[in-house]
Amino acid sequence: MGGVAVIETEGLTKFYGAERGIEDVTVSVEAGEVFAFLGPNGAGKTTTIRTLLDLLHPSRGSARIFGLDSRRESVAIRRRLGNLPGDFGYGKHSSGREALALLARLRGVRDLGRAERLAERFRADLDRPLGQLSRGNRQKIGLILAMFHEPELLILDEPTSGLDPLMQEEFLALVREERERGCAVFLSSHELDEVERVCDRVGIIRGGRLIAVERVADLLAKTAERRRVEVEFAEPADLEAVRALPGVVSAEYARPTLEEVFLTYYRGEEPEARGEGEE
Amino acid sequence: MIALALAQLHERRRSLLSWGLPIGAWSAFVVVIYPSVEDALDKAVASYPEALKEAFGISELSSVEQYLNAEMLSLIVPLAVGYLAARAVASGLSGAAESGRLDVLLSAPVSRRAVVAASFAAAAGELAAVLAVAVLLTMLGSAIAGSGLSFASALAGYASVWPLALLVAGLGVVVTGWSLRTAVVTGSVTGVLVAMYVIDLIGRLDPSLDWIRYASVFRYYGRAIEDGIDPVAFLGVTAVAVALGALGALLFERRDLAA
Repeated sequence: MGGVAVIETEGLTKFYGAERGIEDVTVSVEAGEVFAFLGPNGAGKTTTIRTLLDLLHPSRGSARIFGLDSRRESVAIRRRLGNLPGDFGYGKHSSGREALALLARLRGVRDLGRAERLAERFRADLDRPLGQLSRGNRQKIGLILAMFHEPELLILDEPTSGLDPLMQEEFLALVREERERGCAVFLSSHELDEVERVCDRVGIIRGGRLIAVERVADLLAKTAERRRVEVEFAEPADLEAVRALPGVVSAEYARPTLEEVFLTYYRGEEPEARGEGEE
Repeated sequence: MIALALAQLHERRRSLLSWGLPIGAWSAFVVVIYPSVEDALDKAVASYPEALKEAFGISELSSVEQYLNAEMLSLIVPLAVGYLAARAVASGLSGAAESGRLDVLLSAPVSRRAVVAASFAAAAGELAAVLAVAVLLTMLGSAIAGSGLSFASALAGYASVWPLALLVAGLGVVVTGWSLRTAVVTGSVTGVLVAMYVIDLIGRLDPSLDWIRYASVFRYYGRAIEDGIDPVAFLGVTAVAVALGALGALLFERRDLAA
């Protein structure tokens, strides 16, 4: 992309004793870019993120964030980023507002207007103890804590985990807005649909090794071979007429996904009607 | 660091009720019943074997201070508050790691050393608050029963537990350098505390083994409620506790914080 590199890793490697976490991960993420780290559970996504955040110390290799060394200058780096840990938790008795107040103090943020706006957008309950919230509602608090200070870099580990489809939509919209603002977003996911919709580039990790880094569009173009076309008709289509067109080998009705059906029920409705249940 | 310590104190505010109240109520009960058992105590103590009296630091029970020391401050309070110290520091570090809170805190621009220092300081504050509640309830018991307990003596007696408990907290921080499992931290540190008590007991029972008492914090604990606080022991144990906390912070900084 040719922009300013926000994250740069060089041969980043982490072993847990003899067991490999990640090996020789070299990647860069630029300002205003949304980069997804794809891979199944245990592939090394969280290990990479925790190494970037200096929670894990690399066995070899290096990582620079904002041009700063991720180990020696970790505190200065964290001043400028927001992070959502995988499986977000904070303690059962504290409320989101208490967690927010502490983080705001640690970050020197006085204006919590953005946090309130995010809470409204996610329909998050900041006042209830986190132990009384469902996983999805806790995840919303985690997202607010990661984003309330308008960071230059967002590192999000499985950000939509536990969110209902409507909140996932809200999250994806927010990620697009963050990109517009110039924020770099590094997220891990195995939700391929959301990655396709919002990410500029993906890194595919398997067995701790980064096996591909591609632009999403290039990746899809490589595999699609341009032989399948999806067409939507205003009214029920005559398949025979479509099949009779020159060059057409087959034509089938496409059944909508359950998510698409679900979303049609809520399109245009106020979000109040779709609150999540509590545990 | 102050914000982190205050947040941890706020999170653990219930310990004032769950620890300060029972310890204080028990101490108050001991003080309340003293006037009614006072006469019988001298005869009972006189019949105790000398070795037993020496081992448990019982010379005579002719004052409410001596009785409170024998019943509460020689064993129950230091072990209970020591255990609380282990729990407090484990809650701030290993408990925070288990709940995910540590990951959130370390997303902010704070160093691991600051997190450890805040946890240690919060534990110190929590221990002081619990001991203060115990002193107040004990004095309340004395006032109700007219036991005549001196406030200065009671304060000295309970305050002398603080450096001992702080040492346990320091040991807890050191253990978090190796393990972030709360059960491991609390269990191992409590085990060390009990072992130190046993070492001190053996040293007192057998004068030829007196030298082993130097390995125990109880060697420096004394009977502050009767003799007043020994400032050298108080400051010395506190300094060792802080040094252990600093060592623990170094170890904590070097370790991996796995998910």
